[in-house]
Amino acid sequence: MQRLVEAYIGEYASGKSENAINRAIELARQGRKVTLVDLDLVEPFYTLRPIQDELRQLGIDVVAWETRNTMGLGEAGNILKPEMKWVLRREGDIIMDIGYGVEGAKTLNLVEGALTDPDLKVFAVINVSRPMTFSIPDIIEHVQGMGLVQGLLNNTHLGDDTTADVIEAGAEVVAEAARLLNLPVVATSVDERLAAHFPGGVDRLGHPVRILRRFMPKAFW
Amino acid sequence: MAEKPIQGERKAFLTGNEVVAYAAVAGEADIMYGYPITPQNEIMHYWTRMAPKYGKRFLQTEDELSAGFTTLGGVLSGAKAFTATAGPGNTLMQEPMSMAEMMRIPAVFVIQQRGGPSTATVIYSQQEVTMTTYGGNGEGFRVVYSTATHQDLFDYTIKAFNTAWKYRFPTFVLGDGYQAKMRESVTIYDPQARGIELIKPTPYLGKPGSIGKDREVTHMRNTYNTEEELYEVVMSMAKEYDSVAPEIVEFDAREVDDAEIVIVSHGVVSRAALSAMLELRGAGYKVGYFRPVTLRPFPGDQLRKVADNAKRLLVVESALGQFNKLVQTNIYGSAATIDTIFKPGVGVTSEEIVAKIKATL
Repeated sequence: MQRLVEAYIGEYASGKSENAINRAIELARQGRKVTLVDLDLVEPFYTLRPIQDELRQLGIDVVAWETRNTMGLGEAGNILKPEMKWVLRREGDIIMDIGYGVEGAKTLNLVEGALTDPDLKVFAVINVSRPMTFSIPDIIEHVQGMGLVQGLLNNTHLGDDTTADVIEAGAEVVAEAARLLNLPVVATSVDERLAAHFPGGVDRLGHPVRILRRFMPKAFW
Repeated sequence: MAEKPIQGERKAFLTGNEVVAYAAVAGEADIMYGYPITPQNEIMHYWTRMAPKYGKRFLQTEDELSAGFTTLGGVLSGAKAFTATAGPGNTLMQEPMSMAEMMRIPAVFVIQQRGGPSTATVIYSQQEVTMTTYGGNGEGFRVVYSTATHQDLFDYTIKAFNTAWKYRFPTFVLGDGYQAKMRESVTIYDPQARGIELIKPTPYLGKPGSIGKDREVTHMRNTYNTEEELYEVVMSMAKEYDSVAPEIVEFDAREVDDAEIVIVSHGVVSRAALSAMLELRGAGYKVGYFRPVTLRPFPGDQLRKVADNAKRLLVVESALGQFNKLVQTNIYGSAATIDTIFKPGVGVTSEEIVAKIKATL
């Protein structure tokens, strides 16, 4: 079985964790062995820490700090757990949830073997409703600034105000940015509430749709 | 250089801190001064990301004391200046804040409350109410808007600059860590496209013309030689504050007319209070909702009427009674009884409020 190694990077609050979680669940449901690792060293809010037990119950191996075992989070910075540094030595698929922006993307330098791993795919998660990635030039500048990126993921949404049109409009912007960057669009993510609007499992441009179940709203701290 | 960050209006998905940064740019702030502290950091991060694009400036100082004073300096030079802080940073900033009261400097301060006392947690609380409304030495001649939603954060950040420059009292946007980090959809807009006139700043110092010939000397004071001099200054400031207070006061009252109990809350907690009220009304309970938007000046007369009418209040806050002190002081003499839910540094859910009311009604 081909091992999958995927890292989700991108702009602050673009949906990296939500997409990493849902990808890990999707793979676990296929009977694959999956490790989901919290590599967000940038921002201690909205991480996998508070929901790791719930995710383990869904059949995923989760590597994350327990909040009670940390000291000074959000005050003195975050440190890498040894299991995080060596996570690529594990068997099975590895899904990496990375912190935001350029500094987040640099976290891959700290994971042993990441930069030489032939299976590594780095995907940038883009929500076109986020002001820093409103436009095609913004997205291009943002993606180019992060170093290695092998595909874009359209995660355009407006929280509770999301409609299918918002997602489809985002797909068009992301697709054009991807074309100019010479990168593929790996998927469009769709909140499960709106799944019925994408019956063929693809968006209007033909990108595969990934259905998202929301875990992150309860992952504040 | 891009002219405006937002043309017309549109919906966006934002964290609360980003909302503040965008609102400050949209509200034509010129410069932010600041020192990092969680949970307000992204206000600085996003301001500095946008600043070069829109001809704005930023100065990171060595601490919050300096961030506060440089903000005042910026205002004196005629810039719309603001800063943002939290917790111990708010404590350190009380000296410049009280100088802004004394010298009538229209600086804008954004506070994202975190747990206290001291460093405590970086996460959340409503424990900076006393300090933000009445901190510093003096009499609390300040305007404090307590926001509940991202839309509030956008609207009141823009409004804070206008309030400050119109009345020349330091003006505060009081949020919290939950609002700072939470993400939700918000309508961001160009205020002028909505007919909101943005007051242009004018310099206090360095005005044109020769002193004694073209203009009077500018003499701004925060120190006085005698008790009587100070008394005159403070009393005239109090009179002016009280006279403009009715124009500034804002509150949201719902379903209070026939209510047998009214939930009184402010800030993010009022989101839970509103849900609880709606749920209880749906179940046939006569429950009302009262939320002061301004904590300073406080909508005291309005709440007093509601209290006298309902005869029962439930005060809910993420602090050990700081907001309740404002409530009690402002309804002094009312026969209404007060129940409380105090959870210092912890969020309050609508379920807790519903359970409390069901247990007591």
